[in-house]
Amino acid sequence: MRNKKKHLDFEVNLIPCIDLLSVCICFLLLTAVWLNVGSMNVKQAIGGQAQADTVKSPLVWIRMTATGDVNLEVQETNNVPVAQRKIHLDQVNNQVNWEQLETTVASLRVLEPALNTGLILPVATTAYEDIIAVMDKLKKNGMTDLGVSPL
Amino acid sequence: MISEGVLNQSLLGGVIQNHSILNPHGEQHKRNLALDLLLTALIDAFSILVIFLLMSFSSTGDILFISKNMELPKAKLADALERNPIIKIDEGKLFVEDKEVTADTITESLLDLRKTYTDLHPGEAFPGIATIQADRRIKYELLNQIILGMNQAGYSDIKFAVTSK
Repeated sequence: MRNKKKHLDFEVNLIPCIDLLSVCICFLLLTAVWLNVGSMNVKQAIGGQAQADTVKSPLVWIRMTATGDVNLEVQETNNVPVAQRKIHLDQVNNQVNWEQLETTVASLRVLEPALNTGLILPVATTAYEDIIAVMDKLKKNGMTDLGVSPL
Repeated sequence: MISEGVLNQSLLGGVIQNHSILNPHGEQHKRNLALDLLLTALIDAFSILVIFLLMSFSSTGDILFISKNMELPKAKLADALERNPIIKIDEGKLFVEDKEVTADTITESLLDLRKTYTDLHPGEAFPGIATIQADRRIKYELLNQIILGMNQAGYSDIKFAVTSK
C-alpha cells in the first residue's frame, strides 16, 4: 500500500487577519487627533526672589515695535563686543524681518554660547502670532529660557 | 477549514478559497466566474493604513477644545501639551477653565484654582503652571491682562498653546 505524501506547505487563513486589521483601523480612526497641538513654554519672573539672589546670566532683550522693527540688546556679557550689544533690525513690508532676526540671534549665540535667556518686550499692538514666532526663532537657536514682559 | 464551512457553498466561496490562503505551490484552481477579490492586496492596504494611523496616534487626547473661529499660532519647536488649568481668549472674552472672567476678576479666579490645588495636594509645592489658548491674530494688550493676572496669582510657568508646523 502506497503511503499518502504529506504536504509541507502551510496554509495561512487571511480572514482573521482582515477582521483584526479592520477593528484596528476603526479604533484608530475614531480616536485619531488630526490637529497636532503643542505648547510654547515660558518662565516668568513673579518677583518672589530678591534681586541680589538672582544669578546673573547673559540675556537678550527683544523689543518689538508697532511698525515691525526689532531692537535687540544683549546684557550681562563680556564676550559680545560693545558695538554689537545693541542691534536694530528694520521691518520688511511692515513685518518683522524674520530671516535677519534668526541670523542675528545665531551670530550672538556664536559670540556668547551661554546666551540662553531671551526676554521679549512686545507693544500693545503686537500680534500674538508674532510673539510666538520670535519665541520659535529663539528656541531654534538653542535659547531655552524665554520670557514675555508685561506692558 | 474553509472547504468544510458555509463559504464553500456560497457564490464567493470559490474566490475566497482561491485567494485567502497562502498556498505557493498548491494546485492550480479553475478560474471562477464570480467577482475576483484579491485579499492579499486588501491586507497590504489595511496594513499601510494601520501603520499610518499608529504613527499619527496621540496618547494625550484632546486637551483643548478649539472653537471653529479660533486659529492657534504655529510653531516648529513646540513641546508636548499637558493637562493644566486653561485660560482662554475667545471672541474678546476671557475664560478660566470655561468660566467667564474679566480682567479684574481673573486673578481672583486663578487664586481659587490655586487654593483648590493646595487643598487637594497638601504638602506639595504649587507648580504655578497654566496654559493660554488664544487666536493667533489677537493683540498683545489682551494677552497682557492674562499675563498680569497670572503674575499676581503666582503662576510663573506659562504654556502658550500652538499648533505644530
